[in-house]
Amino acid sequence: MSGGAGHLPNLGGAQSGGPPAELPRQRRGTTPQMRGRYPDYDVLEQADHWDEATRGVVLDRVERVPSIRFFDEREVATLGAFCDLVMAQDSEPRIPVLAMVDEKLSTGRAEGYRHVDMPPDPEVWREVARMLDSAAAEQGAGGFAGARPEAQLLIVRRFAEGELRWEGCPVDKAWGVAMRDILSAFYSHPWAWSEIGFGGPAYPRGYARLGPGQREHWESPPEFELDPVRDVSERGLE
Amino acid sequence: MKPRPPAKARLARGLKGALHPAGNDSSLLLDPRHPSAPRPEGMRRHPESEAVDMLIVGCGAGGATLAQRLARRGWRVVVLEAGPFWDPDRDWVSDEAGSHSLYWTEPRVIGGEDPVELGKNNSGRGVGGSMVHFAGFAPRFHPSDFEVRSRDGVAADWPISYEELRPHYEQLEHELPVAGEHWPWGDPHGYPHSPHPIGGGALRIVKGAERCGIEMRVGPVAIANGSFGHRPHCIYRGLCLQGCKVGAKASPLVTHVPDALAHGVEVRAECMATRIETDESGRCTGVTYFHHGEEHFQAAEAVAVAGYSIETPRLLLHSSSARFPNGLANGNDMVGRGVMVQGAPQVGGRFPEELRMYKAPPPEIASEQFYETDASRGFARGFSIQTVGPLPIGWAEHVLADGHWGQALREYMRDYNHWYVIGALNELLPRSENRVTLAEETDANGMPVARMDYSQCDNDRANIAFGKERMREIVHAAGAQDVLEIDRYAHLVGGCPMSDSPDSGVVDSDQRAWEVPNLFIADGSVMPTQGSANPALTIMALSARLAERLAAKRVGARRERVAA
Repeated sequence: MSGGAGHLPNLGGAQSGGPPAELPRQRRGTTPQMRGRYPDYDVLEQADHWDEATRGVVLDRVERVPSIRFFDEREVATLGAFCDLVMAQDSEPRIPVLAMVDEKLSTGRAEGYRHVDMPPDPEVWREVARMLDSAAAEQGAGGFAGARPEAQLLIVRRFAEGELRWEGCPVDKAWGVAMRDILSAFYSHPWAWSEIGFGGPAYPRGYARLGPGQREHWESPPEFELDPVRDVSERGLE
Repeated sequence: MKPRPPAKARLARGLKGALHPAGNDSSLLLDPRHPSAPRPEGMRRHPESEAVDMLIVGCGAGGATLAQRLARRGWRVVVLEAGPFWDPDRDWVSDEAGSHSLYWTEPRVIGGEDPVELGKNNSGRGVGGSMVHFAGFAPRFHPSDFEVRSRDGVAADWPISYEELRPHYEQLEHELPVAGEHWPWGDPHGYPHSPHPIGGGALRIVKGAERCGIEMRVGPVAIANGSFGHRPHCIYRGLCLQGCKVGAKASPLVTHVPDALAHGVEVRAECMATRIETDESGRCTGVTYFHHGEEHFQAAEAVAVAGYSIETPRLLLHSSSARFPNGLANGNDMVGRGVMVQGAPQVGGRFPEELRMYKAPPPEIASEQFYETDASRGFARGFSIQTVGPLPIGWAEHVLADGHWGQALREYMRDYNHWYVIGALNELLPRSENRVTLAEETDANGMPVARMDYSQCDNDRANIAFGKERMREIVHAAGAQDVLEIDRYAHLVGGCPMSDSPDSGVVDSDQRAWEVPNLFIADGSVMPTQGSANPALTIMALSARLAERLAAKRVGARRERVAA
C-alpha cells in the first residue's frame, strides 16, 4: 500500500526511461543488464568463504538454470515479457526470473496460505497470463508479448493498480502473488546482490565492521550514489 | 530503599553470563564441533503401545520446554513433531529464498477483512518450531498484560498474574540466554548477558528517538554475547530469520532439546498428528498420527498440544467424536476464537551514508515506552518499537508494497545499503469473530486444512496509525532524507484462551482443557491477550510453569495421580 508520507512521489504510475544515465557499467563479474553501483564488486568471488550447503544453493541459481516445465509456450512468451517489464530487464544479461518461478510452481513449493477468494498459486499464474493476453487483445494486439511497449506498460500499470477487468479472482491479490514470486527469484540471484552491493552469505566468516559507512575488507565502496526517491520523482519514472 | 541483595546474588550478578543455568545442560551437551544441533542418535525410544506419561504434539517453544522440564522430573515423554529433526550444517543455508523449508507451507486458507498472510512470516515447522527463524527478540510481558480488563476495560484478564511467570522468565533468560541493557519497562530487570554491539542504523535510531524524547535500549535478544557452554559467539551475519547455523541464537533445538534427549525424551520427527483419541469416560487415550503416509497411534496417560495458534485449534476441531461432536474441548464453541496477530507496520529511512542493514542481527534495539494505555492517545493499550533489518528479498517486498515496480523498483533496490528499518509491534485486541476453523479442502493425509479469518477493530487501526506516526518522527529525527512505510502483521497467539470459568475459554489457569481432564495446551494459543512483546519467551515461561505444577501434582494429569 502507499506510504502516505506527503513528500513521497505519486506512486505506481506507468514507467518509462531507463536507469540513471550515470549508473556505471559493471566491470567485474555479472549484474543484470551489466549495470550497478558497485562496478568492481562481484559477490560470487566470495563463494569460497560460504558454507557448503549455502554455496550449493546459491551457485545453482547461476549454473543450473531450470528448463521450463510448468508453463506452455504461449504463457512463456506472455509472462516472460511481463517479468522483463516489472523487473526492468530490458537487455541481456537477464536473471532468468520466469524459469525460476516455473521451477517453484512445477516442484509444488508453496507459500503456506491461500486467500479464500483465490485459486491456488499455480492457477493464479496461468490466470495472469490469460488476463494479460486478453487485455492486449482489447487493444488490438495478438497477445501481450506482441503488443507495443507503450501498450504493455499501460496494461501492467492497470494491473499494478488493480484496475484490470478480471473475472475469477481479485486482481490486486493476483498482482501480489505474481510479484512475490518474481521478487523472490530476482533478489535471490547473486547477480542482483552484486548490483546492489549486498554482502551475501556470511557463514562461517561473519561480519565484523557494523558501523555507519564501514565495510568488510572484501566489500566495495559504491561508485555512484543517488537518492532514488528524489530521482524517481524528478525524472517522472512513475 | 531496596534491601541490599545477599552476597551470593551479588556474586552471581558480577559473574553475569559466566554462570551456567541450573536445571538445563543443553549448551554443554552439544557437540563442540557441531554446536548448532543435537543429534538424535541414541535417543530413547518408546513402543507405541506404552502409554507414556505425557505425549506432546509439537516441538517448538512450548512443547520442547514442557518436555525438557517434565523429563528432568522423571516423566516418560514422547514429542510428535510434524517437521524434520534439523541438522543445521546440512539443512540450513545463509540465504533468504533457500530457507523455505523452515516454514509451515502446508495449505491453509485465509479470510476476513484484514487477512493475515501465513507461511514464512509467522509459522515454523521442524524441531525447534518457529523460534528457529524468529528474529531473536525475547522481551517479557508487562505486569499490565495480565489485567487489561481490570485496568483498561478491554479484552480479558488472564487467570494468572505476572508474578506467577516471573521466576520462569528469570530462569529462561539464563537458559537461552538473553542479552541486553537493563530493562526499565514493565517489571524492571537486568539480563544475564551484556548488550551486543549495534550497527550504524541502530546508532542513528537511538539518537533520533532521543531527540523525540523516546528511549531505545539495546536488546533484549536471545543470542549469547560471548560463548555459552559449547554454543559459540554470534558472528553478526544478519541471517537470524533464516535459522542460526552458528548456534548462537536460541531456539529449542539448542536450548532445550539436548537436555530433553539426555533425560529420556523421544522426539519423533516427521510425525503429523491428526486426531486426539478419547475413551467413553471422556479422557484422552493417545494421538493418531501419520509418518511418511502411514497411520500410527501412540498411547498416553496425558496429552499436551503445542502446535501453536493455527494447528492446535485445527487438531482439536478435527478430534470430534460422539462425545465431543463439535471437536475436542469445544463444547462452548471457543476453540479457535480470539486468535491474534500483532500489528507490525514498518518505517524505513534513507540516510546519506551506507548503513548496510544486512549486518548484525536484525533485532538490535527496542523501546517499550508506549506499551501501556495512555488515555490521551484515544485508544486502549499500546505498542513497542524494534529494529527489523530486512534482507534484499524482504526489502524488495517493502518497496513493492510502497507502490514501486519496474525501473523505480530497481533503483530503490540499488540504494538498499542506504536504508534502515524500524517496526512497531501493536497490541491488537482479541475478537471472538477472529477464528481458526476447518476448511473444506483437505491435506495429503485427508485432514481438513485450517482456515483463519481475521479483521481489525477500530482500536487496532488507531493503535497502528499512532505507532506509525511515532516511528516516522523517529526516523526523520534520525536524519532520514526520505521514508517509506508499509503495513504488515507479526506473530500469532490465542485461539484456545485460558480463562477463569469454563464458559469463557478452552483451558483453565493450569492450561488444562476445561472439558478433558488429561488434555493440556502448551503453546501461545492459550494467551488471552498478547501485549506488545514478542511471544516466544512467554510461551516458554508458561510451559515451564505448567511443568512445575504438573510435577508437583498441583494439577493432575496421569490417572493414578489425579487427586480425588
